[in-house]
Amino acid sequence: MEIKKDFTDQSLIQSLRSDANPDEAIRFLYRTQFRLTAAYIKQNRGTEEDAEDIFQELVLVFIEILKKDKFRGESSVSTFLYALTRNIWLNELNKRGKSKLRDENFEKSKDKVDMDVSHLIVDRETKSQMMQVVDKLGDTCKKILLAFYFENLAMKEILQTLNYENEQVVRNKKYKCLKQLEQMMIAEPNLLKNLKSVLL
Amino acid sequence: MNENSTNTEVLIQYLDAELQGEDLETLKKNLTNDQSLREELENLQLAQEATRSYGLKTKINAIHGEMMHELKENKSPKASLIKMIIQNGLRVAAVLIMLVGLSALYQYLTTSPEKLFNENYHPYIIHEMRGVPESSMLREKYKKGNMDSVILEFSSLNSPQPEEYILAGIAFLENNQSAKAIETFKTLIQKNSDAKTDYFEDDAEYYLAMSYLNNQEPEKALPILEKIQADPKHPYNNKLSEWFILKVKSLHGKG
Repeated sequence: MEIKKDFTDQSLIQSLRSDANPDEAIRFLYRTQFRLTAAYIKQNRGTEEDAEDIFQELVLVFIEILKKDKFRGESSVSTFLYALTRNIWLNELNKRGKSKLRDENFEKSKDKVDMDVSHLIVDRETKSQMMQVVDKLGDTCKKILLAFYFENLAMKEILQTLNYENEQVVRNKKYKCLKQLEQMMIAEPNLLKNLKSVLL
Repeated sequence: MNENSTNTEVLIQYLDAELQGEDLETLKKNLTNDQSLREELENLQLAQEATRSYGLKTKINAIHGEMMHELKENKSPKASLIKMIIQNGLRVAAVLIMLVGLSALYQYLTTSPEKLFNENYHPYIIHEMRGVPESSMLREKYKKGNMDSVILEFSSLNSPQPEEYILAGIAFLENNQSAKAIETFKTLIQKNSDAKTDYFEDDAEYYLAMSYLNNQEPEKALPILEKIQADPKHPYNNKLSEWFILKVKSLHGKG
């Protein structure tokens, strides 16, 4: 029988924050939070498809906040995720021009949680633009940069997965790839400006 | 290699925490005086952030498909409850057929926390309170049996009332989130202890014990259940048979 791991707030935060394998913790978030997020989105003029998109965004944003130590733990994980969901979805509705259509329940729910999380969130459009820029990098560059910066592998480990002569060659390639990505981002000044205002 | 590319290389080493000693001090000094160098550092930092974000999004996308499949299979908690009951029922029937004639010792060996929980769990009946004109929204949602809405509502409350802790705890328990249920009931008991009150204390105790049982922690459930059993005035006293306590004890012994 498959064992589904249960987490407390503390163990969940620890697992998502650490660079080790957070897959089980992400699955736990889906099992415990997805239905709540979907209920909220659907109560507020969204569809099941919106709920799936927003939830992926929510998980991404939450993990990034944890990794940057910006979650102060003043509320439970569930309450914090609720505030994040509201913020992400409200921004999305505003972008779609439906903000005036909000129903009474939505207005009421706004008053209940006064946690301001807007400063922690890169808007979805900027994030999507950022993903597209990274996606345009060549496959080898993506592989090297992801191995180093996302999977935190050592040069020696990266060398084993690629056909290069030695670590120095991989190091040089990594330098060129990061520089290339930087140049691609500089070519999108609005993107750069938006990201700086939230991430730096 | 020209000066610009040398700078970039040093900046990357700095961001990767690979720069040390004199080189590190020199760069820090240069960063203080050189605006364009600071800008390049920020841009490289953003490029790294973008890479990390991309990696995380790719990972989440991969898990998303798998989890949507799982969640759609178990879409309704009622359906999964029925499935669980049917599965347990079939298990019990199979065990009965196979084990006719075997002694109580065998039953001792086959007892599990889930089985005990399922056999002894009593759904919480909401108390209608006279003289309380307005019912909370969470209470109303609980009455309708929508446990997801109860949890959602509870998450939005800044200062939940004692009864709301109970209802949310039950909702977690019925949604199979025992760890969250335990956390919620313990919070209420702690709040009562801090304020020297006993609001819904009896309910919190019983459901905390049941949550421990459902979370495979019979050793934590046992002292609470024994306390309830020892107190004839406890409202849950009549729900706990000797046989049930004995089975929990046997699980404790097994642990």
